[in-house]
Amino acid sequence: MSRLKEWSYYGLLWLVALIFFAPIAWIVMSSFKTRSDILAIPPKFFFTPTLENYRELFNRSEIFQQIGNSIMLSLGAVIIAVIVSFLAAFCFSRFRPKGTDFLMFLLLSIRMLPGPAVILPVFLMYVAFGWKDSHLWLMLFYAMFSIPFSVWILKGFLDGVSTRFDETGRVNGGSWLHIIFKVVMPQVRPGLIAAFIFNLIFVWNEYLFNFIIGGVNTQNIPYALMVGTYADGGVNWTFISTMTSIYIILPVVFIYLFQKYLLVGMTFGTVRGEV
Amino acid sequence: MTDVTLPPRKRSRFFENRAALVLALLAPVLTFFIVFNTIPTLWLIGLSFYNFSLTSGMPPDFVGFRNFFAILSSKNAIWFDLSRTFTFVFAAVTVQTLLGGLLGFLFWGSKDMPGRRVALTLLFAPMVLTPVATGTFFRFIYDPTFGIFNYLSRALFDSGPIDFLGDPSLAFWSVLAVDCWMWTPFMTLMTLAALGSVPTAELEAAEIDRVPMWRRLPLVIWHHGKFIMMLGILLRTIDSFKTLDLIIPMTKGGPGQNTRLVALELNKQAFESFNMGWSSAYAVLLLLISIAMTSVFIFVLNLRRRRESGS
Repeated sequence: MSRLKEWSYYGLLWLVALIFFAPIAWIVMSSFKTRSDILAIPPKFFFTPTLENYRELFNRSEIFQQIGNSIMLSLGAVIIAVIVSFLAAFCFSRFRPKGTDFLMFLLLSIRMLPGPAVILPVFLMYVAFGWKDSHLWLMLFYAMFSIPFSVWILKGFLDGVSTRFDETGRVNGGSWLHIIFKVVMPQVRPGLIAAFIFNLIFVWNEYLFNFIIGGVNTQNIPYALMVGTYADGGVNWTFISTMTSIYIILPVVFIYLFQKYLLVGMTFGTVRGEV
Repeated sequence: MTDVTLPPRKRSRFFENRAALVLALLAPVLTFFIVFNTIPTLWLIGLSFYNFSLTSGMPPDFVGFRNFFAILSSKNAIWFDLSRTFTFVFAAVTVQTLLGGLLGFLFWGSKDMPGRRVALTLLFAPMVLTPVATGTFFRFIYDPTFGIFNYLSRALFDSGPIDFLGDPSLAFWSVLAVDCWMWTPFMTLMTLAALGSVPTAELEAAEIDRVPMWRRLPLVIWHHGKFIMMLGILLRTIDSFKTLDLIIPMTKGGPGQNTRLVALELNKQAFESFNMGWSSAYAVLLLLISIAMTSVFIFVLNLRRRRESGS
């Protein structure tokens, strides 16, 4: 390719990427505008940036609790889910107990059901047992919802680790615990990372379950965005743009750092490879 | 293989422990699933035979299949929502596959692009944005007075204000456009993966044999890439069927019922009207559809596996 052709090709690709990013850039730009600048007609592309929105956001007393909830719920749920799923995936991959295929199918099917259908009976159960608005029970439900994803991803990776490692360990007198955690686990680190990242992003962005089976104490940021939309008789655009700008930092940094795992994560581990 | 390498004493110990080990490894997942999935699902199926509303304060009343009859025969309910949902799914998946595929081809061979990783991060960012935030902010972008789209259309075409989300003939397509913005990158990702799975040797062979591009596509590329593409299409089909929190902040299913997909209708009946019996029956119907879609997904996956182990 000639140099000019090459540069125009790359220029085109960058343009495509920027077009897709433009709405997000608009959100971030809005977060540095005053309320009247946001609502200005015609829209302002050049303006004096202000940090007032951020100052105002962190003056809301409940914001730290909401961010804390977001972090705690997603981290807690995903850590539980990845550990539990790793054990199950090891079992499915190595021992293939009767009904493995059926169980894997059952696990996946829960991710295929529309949210309200999943949460409806759980809601009734939580109300009946008084589990609503509790961090622990919400976290456990999120963990359950993260398990299918993780089992599928991890089983794919475990199938790729030769059983000779297990056999060698057994012959040398290693216990199963030693083999599982010391011999096999380090080899599926990419799978663990992929499962971790993608479930974290899912719980991070999840709104419905938090709204239905959570409550005032457990509300996370998507919940806050949904209910905090209106203020002073209008839509509170400064709050939405500021909160969103802060909130997307984590997922965007993750997909930059872990681009290798993007494909694995986005396809339940059914497709492997790099982009 | 195990039988050959392990001494007899070890092997017997191995088989003795095996059942216990399997059980111990599976126990946590099974507990989670029985508590949070199996019991609730059975509860749901049971409740679908009852007339039960949380707001009336009346105890559940057994009505047999009447909820299902009510849903399936009612003039304005599930059939309209389902056809709207499937129109949404079909249109979304078609646009995303074509556009995403095109972009995938475009990004193929950009391995040496300066700042490729940043560019891809920007491209994939819409996928990981909180849907609630996306929906809310697009309401602003679509706004007839303050929105940037209206500003552009006024400036370029001198048209009057367009109410993208309030106009019954536009709302559905406006919502669809946001879904396409969000998920086209996913199909680009899948296309890149599919193209990456084509062996370089075969591409080079085609190059040397001077196979024209339009023949290379079905013969070489599609042959190797089709399974990943099919999985991508299936995952998008299943996911767009579930679309909910993107639409709630934009239109709440309105204007009228123009953007009311099945998930939104169920959400409204269950958690705004608290019609639990009716909603359970509705959810059971959606469960059947989801099981069918999951089966297709697994079937395609198995096809692929069989092909891989066969060749």
